[in-house]
Amino acid sequence: MSELLKLENVRAGYGDAVVLEDISFSLGEGDSLALLGRNGMGKTTLLSTLMGAARQHSGVLRFAGEDLAIVPAHARAHRGLGWVPQERDIFPSLTVEENLSVVATAGHWNLQRVYEMFPRLKERRTNMGNELSGGEQQMLAIGRALMLNPKLLLLDEPLEGLAPLIVQELLSIIRRLTEEGGMAVILVEQHARQILPLTRQALVLERGRAVYQGDSATLRNDRELLDSWLGVAAH
Amino acid sequence: MKALDIIHDEHRALGAVLQAFGFVLDAIRDGRFEPDFALLAAMIEYITQVPDKLHHPKEDDYLFVKMRERIPASAALLDQLEADHAEGARRTAALRGALVHYQGVGAAAFPEFEATARTYLAASWRHVSREEIELLPMARTGLAAEDWAEIDAAFEANKDPWSGPTGEFRTLFSRIVNMVPAPYGVGAGARAV
Repeated sequence: MSELLKLENVRAGYGDAVVLEDISFSLGEGDSLALLGRNGMGKTTLLSTLMGAARQHSGVLRFAGEDLAIVPAHARAHRGLGWVPQERDIFPSLTVEENLSVVATAGHWNLQRVYEMFPRLKERRTNMGNELSGGEQQMLAIGRALMLNPKLLLLDEPLEGLAPLIVQELLSIIRRLTEEGGMAVILVEQHARQILPLTRQALVLERGRAVYQGDSATLRNDRELLDSWLGVAAH
Repeated sequence: MKALDIIHDEHRALGAVLQAFGFVLDAIRDGRFEPDFALLAAMIEYITQVPDKLHHPKEDDYLFVKMRERIPASAALLDQLEADHAEGARRTAALRGALVHYQGVGAAAFPEFEATARTYLAASWRHVSREEIELLPMARTGLAAEDWAEIDAAFEANKDPWSGPTGEFRTLFSRIVNMVPAPYGVGAGARAV
């Protein structure tokens, strides 16, 4: 598995405020990482740093062999970083199909494949973005990121606020994405036990620092460790 | 303890469909949605077939057997849970029969269908809760690492908990998600007029 992403001693935050300290890890092509931690520990900031939406104070951040520090935020998606933010950021005045097509990049993922994965989006393809339910919006947000044909997919709490039925469906889809290995995936979630089986690696953040870095299976089987870092979110 | 993860996963998937079923019953009863018999049949297939064909056999054949060997205090609880499993076939037949009757007779038969379905849902929730609250903690603390190695190996064969041998339950689950009206699913739902 050749290296896709590498962080070395990354220090980052917003403006002069530092949220992340001394973060180092690497991710291979097609690999998967669960990014865990309680609220406010820096998970979203880490994704934002990768996307250029937070400020990298120091350290090295390399993606596909390139120093991301010199790549402007607006160009990072085209480098192969697909971001599904918590807010979903659906274009409300575009149809479902336009939301998907507007970002399309040549590759494995096209409209047909996205519609196969999310048949409901095909049924709703002429509806506007603001006419969708929460579950449909999340499916559209993931589908839109896939249309970029990213090398690395960043999912920021994709299950948040959704009904259990939709959560289970999305978990199954994310499992397929990580198992197929066509792209690397970083998955931020509160509910560790539900996502650790889906990923190969795990990183736990506490107050902006990594307190666990290793394989997901080891963490999943260590109930005490999970409880101490994640509390109720471990379950 | 891979087996415990699988059991928890299966409970979550089953619980999601049970919850959605309750929502659909509420919506029909309150006149918010027309009955969608394809959806009702799909949900009944899922909540009966997945436990009976996938979930309970694994528990009966591996976890319960090992617990009886190692944890004598679990005997009464296991007797009750096994009785629930055995009762499943009769309750399943009653639920399917009630759906056929409802579909044939129409709205007048909804109260009878609803009562049968609610009884089934309540029994399923009770069973899952008993396993989550009583059985699994007892298994977690009472079985040794070598016991878990054996149980995990047996459960490992069933990697994707709700797929079934040919992926049929995976497909069924997706179909349900796409038919159940929002906010519980992403289906449109035929609104009552």
